[in-house]
Amino acid sequence: MDYLIVAIVALAAAALGTPFLQVFGQGRASGYLLIVALLIALAGVVSNTLYPQPSGSLGPLFSSDALGDLFAIVTVSVSLFVAVVSLSLVKPSANSPFYYSLLSFAALGMVLLSYSADLLMLFVSWELMSVPTYALAGFQKKKEESNEAAVKYAILGALSSAIILVGISLVYGLTGTTGIFAAAKSLSSQPFNPVASVAVVLFIVGFGFKMSVVPFHMWVPDAYEGAPTPIATLFAAGTKKAGFVAAIRVVLAISTFYAVAEQSSIFSLANVFAVLAIATMTLGNFAALTQKSITRLLAYSSIAQAGYMLIGFVIYSYAQGNPIYAAQGVLGLTGTLFHVVNHSIMKGAAFVAAGVVVLKLGRGDMAALNGLGRRMPITAFSLTVSLLALAGVPPLSGFWSKLILFLSVLNGPYAWLAVAGVLNSALSMGYYGLMIKRMYLDEAEDATQAREPIPVVVVLAVLVALMIAIGIFPGPVISFSQAAVPSAGP
Amino acid sequence: MPYLLSLIIFVPIAGSLLTYAVGRIDRRAAGYAALAVSAVVLVVSLSVFWSVYSNVPPAGQYSLMESHPWISLQGFKLDYLLGVDGLSSPLVLLTAILGVLAVFGARGLVNDGQPTFYALLLFVEGSVMGAFTSLDLILFYLFWEITLVPIFFLVGIWGGEKRRYAALKFIIFTFAGSAIMLLGFLALYLGVPTHSFNIPDLAGKVPVGLQYLPLLAIFIGFAVEMPAFPFHSWQPDAYEQAPGPVNVLLAGVVPKFAGYGVIRIAIGLFPQASHEYAWAFIIFGGASMFYGAVVALLASDLKRMFAYTSMSHMGFVVLGAFATVASGNPLGMQGAVLQMFAHGLAIGALFMLSGFVQQRTGTREIGRLGGLGQRMPVAAMLLVFSSCAAMGLPPFANFLAEVMVISGGLSASSIVGVTILVPVITGGYFLWMLKRTVFAASDQTKVEDINTSDGIALAFYIVPLVLVVVFSFLILSPAAPIALQAAQAGGLP
Repeated sequence: MDYLIVAIVALAAAALGTPFLQVFGQGRASGYLLIVALLIALAGVVSNTLYPQPSGSLGPLFSSDALGDLFAIVTVSVSLFVAVVSLSLVKPSANSPFYYSLLSFAALGMVLLSYSADLLMLFVSWELMSVPTYALAGFQKKKEESNEAAVKYAILGALSSAIILVGISLVYGLTGTTGIFAAAKSLSSQPFNPVASVAVVLFIVGFGFKMSVVPFHMWVPDAYEGAPTPIATLFAAGTKKAGFVAAIRVVLAISTFYAVAEQSSIFSLANVFAVLAIATMTLGNFAALTQKSITRLLAYSSIAQAGYMLIGFVIYSYAQGNPIYAAQGVLGLTGTLFHVVNHSIMKGAAFVAAGVVVLKLGRGDMAALNGLGRRMPITAFSLTVSLLALAGVPPLSGFWSKLILFLSVLNGPYAWLAVAGVLNSALSMGYYGLMIKRMYLDEAEDATQAREPIPVVVVLAVLVALMIAIGIFPGPVISFSQAAVPSAGP
Repeated sequence: MPYLLSLIIFVPIAGSLLTYAVGRIDRRAAGYAALAVSAVVLVVSLSVFWSVYSNVPPAGQYSLMESHPWISLQGFKLDYLLGVDGLSSPLVLLTAILGVLAVFGARGLVNDGQPTFYALLLFVEGSVMGAFTSLDLILFYLFWEITLVPIFFLVGIWGGEKRRYAALKFIIFTFAGSAIMLLGFLALYLGVPTHSFNIPDLAGKVPVGLQYLPLLAIFIGFAVEMPAFPFHSWQPDAYEQAPGPVNVLLAGVVPKFAGYGVIRIAIGLFPQASHEYAWAFIIFGGASMFYGAVVALLASDLKRMFAYTSMSHMGFVVLGAFATVASGNPLGMQGAVLQMFAHGLAIGALFMLSGFVQQRTGTREIGRLGGLGQRMPVAAMLLVFSSCAAMGLPPFANFLAEVMVISGGLSASSIVGVTILVPVITGGYFLWMLKRTVFAASDQTKVEDINTSDGIALAFYIVPLVLVVVFSFLILSPAAPIALQAAQAGGLP
């Protein structure tokens, strides 16, 4: 746990320290400080992964396991590249230090959330992550859309927090504990109680907001479009993943001990997830087809991707009552975790590229992409690679995680989900292909070249290299994802 | 040489990066670099072809195999597995020949952004090679998919007037088709107890109950790629808009993915289901043959006509292959293999010529190309020759292939005899086209004819077609074990 303390302290120090840098004026010093802090934090969580420490030195509130490591690495890395691109995408102003401070708080919240093993700790981290992002979403305070995005996001975010809190209090009332493992175990020794099922539903709703699961997705397109693009990147690649880790830690952990409903019942957890998965991917893809704004399109595509990730939840929770599907359940959740990693990289790259386009060309509609291949070659190439990866073209990273997800459900009662997923992937080529067509095949009205800022180029290059490298040698990341799949127990 | 097959995949792919890099320094050098790379691939492919011919592997076994574990996890295993046999070696050779010729042809037909064009062309060549030599279903799918992306750019950037529409339609159709095919592969992986994507491991082990739905899913993927009626809507647009050298690969080798897949995967892995429903596939192939031929008759654009010709000729491949499964007579499938080789060369020549004709006369409309015989005598002569090949006149290999396919089909059912009308219609529309272009009188002025080197390059499409008739054993005898195996799957000796 020592390495984690390093990470936590570094992020907390940056969060509290950057505002003081305001005395040095509007410079980027606070940004650099945060980058250093995030690098230290990344080193901390990576060390914790490589040299696992015995759990428990931070008390029962945390569990230092591979699942936490995976999400901590993802969220810290995402925060890191968001911080780097913010250097060029966010205009330095008197408020810059606060921007980076808020970012740092959010990163800290996500790290703590990744390792939380206690419902209260989880809730506190959840809020630590969420509250700064409400402010960040509205950071361009003179822009009407930014304000609208912030208000919409804050209200729905507060609502989801409240819902989670009700769920926590129900679980506490039933079991007398807030430890996730202890609560789940205690539930399993009790007779079936519909109140526990209500609590699980509340958790799914509350986490579902962050995971951008249909029908809790309404805020997503507005917030992604209105927020500054680095923050939209953070939402898509970072906080959304926090929703997933919370759902895995709480909902799936409870499901390993406690049948939320009779397995044969139509309201079984697996069925609920299956309906959410197919609604999410289908609605996301269909809505994306008709979007006129790049960030809005990417937002809907991000919703669709959440639908693919839920496939792993379906088979994992189904396997709890049907041991013959145990191996498939593990494979499915492996696919989810692998897709979480990939999605952060792919969507991160796509949003960063969209951010540069908006910044340099001053517009974010789809027509801004026309002729981008000549105007901003590196951005256009990176965006193309990330779109192909999102569509699932081999040998890019996104292909493998989708393959594993579809493979995991193809055998058994949810085979139709795999079919739906494949058809959705094919459908998604409709809008991804359209974007690529605009960049390389269509001509721009104004063909002047735009300069691409160095920090952005570096981030894009790293992300593209990762997409290709994971695509060609997916083995290590899949193994890591598989190791992170929680087994029954703490 | 143990790594021969990896070489023919990765030399073009690495060469594509090299060509691009060279092109950044000197634009003209990119063409020479690309030509050199494709020539190396041709030499290696010849040696691959020869090593299969000189030592034909029995059915179900492969030459020059390479096997490395790629992903190995609990519940998910994947190998990098390559190998060739008498089915894939002619296709490898065809790809290598067309690769050189396409690169050579691009010299005169493509003006802008040559280095990128050559780089993409070589990338297509490498990934096509990968698809033909992969013995792992996911690897096959991977190479299949990465072929589509560069073709999207090649059609969309260097194509004709409606190139953007054609390119987008192409990628959406083929991507959807291959996604459905992938489902079939996954179902196969789960259904077979050994849990493998390796074709040699799966062959003969697929339970009969599991054969029907995956066969349907996989065949839909092939039917889109081929394309076969009624999945062909993308094809006339893409073929019409693509520039000539891209057509050479797009029409010459890419449909062979599907032809190859039908024989290797659909028939090879699902023999019982293929046998049971062979009649349906024969009707399916026959429908493409007729539909393509009839629509080609009505086409007013040279390239559109060739596109439908291509569809009609790929119908022969399906019909021939399934005729063997239905009847137990290996003739049909051997004819199908020969047809794939012959069609690739003939259609390549036709598309290159249409590219030259359009470049020099400014149109591809058959009605406005009167007097081509006087206006471009050399091109006109080559057009006559390659049309003769495409319509299946002796002494071209296409004749032999079509005879074999139709007589193979007759042994399945005498009703298949009606397909003899297809070569008749094909002959009709080609002659009519020639009458309206080459042999029509015209008062239009003479235009610059194709130059000697391009003329010689075009001869390289046509001469092998004659040679293959004389030395037909070069292709037919390596293909014999596969055809015999498929024939036995039909239940007859």
